[in-house]
Amino acid sequence: MKLKLLDTLFPLGLTLLVLLALEIVATTVLPMFGVSQYRLPFNILIVLYIGFKLETPAMAVMILVVQYFHSFFTIEGWGMGTFAGVLICIIISYLRDLMHLTSATLTILLTMLFQMVWFVILSLLIYLRWGDWNYILEKFWRFIPESITVSLLAPIIFYVLDRIWKGTLSEAFGEEA
Amino acid sequence: MKVLSEDRQRPKIIVNVIVLCVALFGVSKTDVKLSKSSAFERLMVDSVAPLQKSIMQSKQWVSLLFEDYFNNVAASKNNRSFKKEISNLKNKIFKYEELAKENKRLKDLLKFGEEIKAQQVLAQIVAWDASSDYKVIRINKGARDGIKLQSTAVTAEGIVGYVYRLTDHFADILTILDTKNRVDAIVERTRSHGIIEGLSNDKCLMKYVTRIEPVIINDVVITSGLGNIYPKGIKIGTISRIDRESYGITQHIEITPSVNFNRLEEVIILFFKRNELHKVEWDVLDNPK
Repeated sequence: MKLKLLDTLFPLGLTLLVLLALEIVATTVLPMFGVSQYRLPFNILIVLYIGFKLETPAMAVMILVVQYFHSFFTIEGWGMGTFAGVLICIIISYLRDLMHLTSATLTILLTMLFQMVWFVILSLLIYLRWGDWNYILEKFWRFIPESITVSLLAPIIFYVLDRIWKGTLSEAFGEEA
Repeated sequence: MKVLSEDRQRPKIIVNVIVLCVALFGVSKTDVKLSKSSAFERLMVDSVAPLQKSIMQSKQWVSLLFEDYFNNVAASKNNRSFKKEISNLKNKIFKYEELAKENKRLKDLLKFGEEIKAQQVLAQIVAWDASSDYKVIRINKGARDGIKLQSTAVTAEGIVGYVYRLTDHFADILTILDTKNRVDAIVERTRSHGIIEGLSNDKCLMKYVTRIEPVIINDVVITSGLGNIYPKGIKIGTISRIDRESYGITQHIEITPSVNFNRLEEVIILFFKRNELHKVEWDVLDNPK
């Protein structure tokens, strides 16, 4: 297992670099072009990729690391995203046999579906923390365009991440290439 | 991918449960008022923020290049009218200087004491928060420039917010548009007291103003100075909507901030050396005479 964990370190590092690049796009480049009301949650995409494709005992730790790096760009912190991400990946692990990301359309639809689950979990956490439904309602109107855009980008980002994790998927996790 | 065996599922479940507990602990520990980052977090923010800064600067260089060219063409036409304006403004400045002197004399008479002068740092915005839930901006000045946690951010138009997270070279500002930012405020004309909270991308809400307060549309709202974060008298915005129901004890007041957050590029950070403002407040409380 140690060897397998070590095998994941290099692709995880590359994945974090991709995350940093995408976060810079979301926080600097898009607002620079006037997209100031909406932010694309690329961290959710990376967490979903981990859930969909990487079957490892260290999955939860990887999500924690991704969310920790995401917290450098937001004051949201890493807690809520990690909680939602791990819960979603547990759900995905039970449904994995029913889901096959064989086409771009399926990838888009499944990404959209699990973003909605993410929204529900996060909303419950926000309600428990702040007790404010108005805030959640306002968040919902922003969630719709943001999640649709991220879902449409999912096949491209997943393709890049597939290239990064390809060797590790086949060797460390025993996948047939 | 092969399905993991039960023996391999056990450590996964244990890790999942531990991480879920750690995450819940992290959520409960999140502070609304300010974020005390670890040394590693500060190092990472200081490492990635220069990238954000350089992207923002390159955009500014390109736009400046075009602006300079077009501005030069129009500059000679504007020159004459500006000269007239300058002479008018000089007259106004003279009047204001007289008023400031008079104000100081009156304050001395009332024994208000010397007003503490805040130090100012001009900072540029280099990025926005990665989540649209939070109305936070990142600036290119940090602790090395003298900025402290909870220092006030303003522009010439009015208040922007306060420093929520701080690293050596960068700072995150929680703007007044954020729902978690609360500003103690008064209506300038009626001196009605209330609390300002973020509502949307361009509106704030003024809470706890009683129904009998005679506030009207376009009344100016300023900071009250209570709460130990914002100095007194900074403009917040104007009242743009009032809903006064026949029941309840308060009225629903919407504020349009005087700062246009969509066009915000620079802010001024106000901070006080050695927490002088707090010291004066404590002195007043300790010695009410």
